Amino acid sequence: MSTFFLTIGFGLCAFVFCVLYRVVFGPGVFNRIAAISAIGTKTLIILLIMGFIYDRVEMFVDISMVYALLNFIGVLAAAKFLGLETDL
Amino acid sequence: MIRSSEDIIVRTVSRILVPFIQLFALYVIAHGHHSPGGGFQGGVILGASLVLLLITYGPQETRRHISEKSLIAFGSLGVIVYSGIGLICLFLLGNYLDYGKLSGLLRVVPSEARSLGILGVEIGVGFTVMAIMFSIFFDISSGGKPPDDEKNNP
Amino acid sequence: MEVTLLIQATDDSFRILEDAKSRAKELLDSASILEDARKQAKGLLDCTVGVTSEARQMEKQKIQAIFKGAQETKSGFQNFIATFSLLFVFWMLLSGKFDLFHLAIGVICSATIAYLTHDLLFANVRIGETWVIVWRFIAYMPWLTSQIIQSNMHVALLALSPRMPVDPRILRFRTKLESDISWVTLANSITLTPGTITMDINAGEFFVHALDQRVADDLHAGEMEDRVAHIFMEADHIYIQDALDVARIYVALRKWG
Repeated sequence: MSTFFLTIGFGLCAFVFCVLYRVVFGPGVFNRIAAISAIGTKTLIILLIMGFIYDRVEMFVDISMVYALLNFIGVLAAAKFLGLETDL
Repeated sequence: MIRSSEDIIVRTVSRILVPFIQLFALYVIAHGHHSPGGGFQGGVILGASLVLLLITYGPQETRRHISEKSLIAFGSLGVIVYSGIGLICLFLLGNYLDYGKLSGLLRVVPSEARSLGILGVEIGVGFTVMAIMFSIFFDISSGGKPPDDEKNNP
Repeated sequence: MEVTLLIQATDDSFRILEDAKSRAKELLDSASILEDARKQAKGLLDCTVGVTSEARQMEKQKIQAIFKGAQETKSGFQNFIATFSLLFVFWMLLSGKFDLFHLAIGVICSATIAYLTHDLLFANVRIGETWVIVWRFIAYMPWLTSQIIQSNMHVALLALSPRMPVDPRILRFRTKLESDISWVTLANSITLTPGTITMDINAGEFFVHALDQRVADDLHAGEMEDRVAHIFMEADHIYIQDALDVARIYVALRKWG
């Protein structure tokens, strides 16, 4: 069972590296913000899979929820700050 | 000066999410001793919920929910709770923050008294961290200018 | 949706009425007309000015009221009880411990947060029907999941075929929903379904980006909008003002031609 979760985890890491291309080379700042938000969703699942591998799911569910929250608020604040030329 | 967001989807979703975020933050504070969490982490999440309210609704609406006076009160209350528990332990002829001496006051076993003492200290830390996080964000993003309302305008 | 056709029909009739208004003005200005023609033109002008400006005013007010969001809640106590119970259920889901100490802490935390934010969660809901709406919302989820699975397979088929027959387009439509939370539910359901994304809601109109003609047809059929209106118990009555407007336009057109 642990091999199954390890395989899924490595597959998701490969997807994260694909999206990392847009973070580095994205023309403009909005592409980078959208790519970071997409990486955040993959990170949630990778955290849960680590919880399954170490057999302590309850702990990692809490951490995933906190990360989802902060990802949402961070993308909102960054978009608001970088989208306007004058004030917030 | 922070303007309220003109997008109705963002406003509605954030107003529904804020109570649940705050409840999750209090859960993280209260279960600090057998789950990842504790005082500082819960305080950061509480501050993040207030920041969400600020960037989607603007400063006037946020001040209806938490005014600047209560923000300063929360910041000081946390410090009072923390040092107050330490001083109570000092008055009961122990060391500073020696929670074991609280067992006489609360009538429980000394190990249980240590657990409750740490919980009280974490609550104090959470209050202070929430207040300071929110006021740092507010002061930096508004550029130091006080928000204009009816009292300040001549 | 038949509502879109109705809106287009009223738009066309508004345009006809604007033309009729300008022609009636010209007729009034020109010096050589008979008295009854002048009276007829004046009657038509009053009729059309009344219908177009008042209907547009009402519609603009309705959209502004929806955008403002929270109305004045007359029963804060019921909001407090509803918020407290939802938050306490959430607390018990999060913390699996049911001994007295943790339950007491849960009650204190839920009561504090429900007291501080009681006007946030249930701001726009009609009083007394909160539990019906919550139950209907829970019953809506399986249908949404089946829609997501169907659209997923269709979009996967599109993306994996070698020549990729996508035909992206932007749709623009009005809905018959009346409050901000039903707008947001519809917008989020459209975004969750693969193939469509809600880009913006601007002055009461939805701007949706769709991948394909078939996906756009699914959206235009209006089943999602009917189900969302059924959840929040809206748009299930006949608007008498619309019927009166249509009657007046019909009478004016009959008098004119």
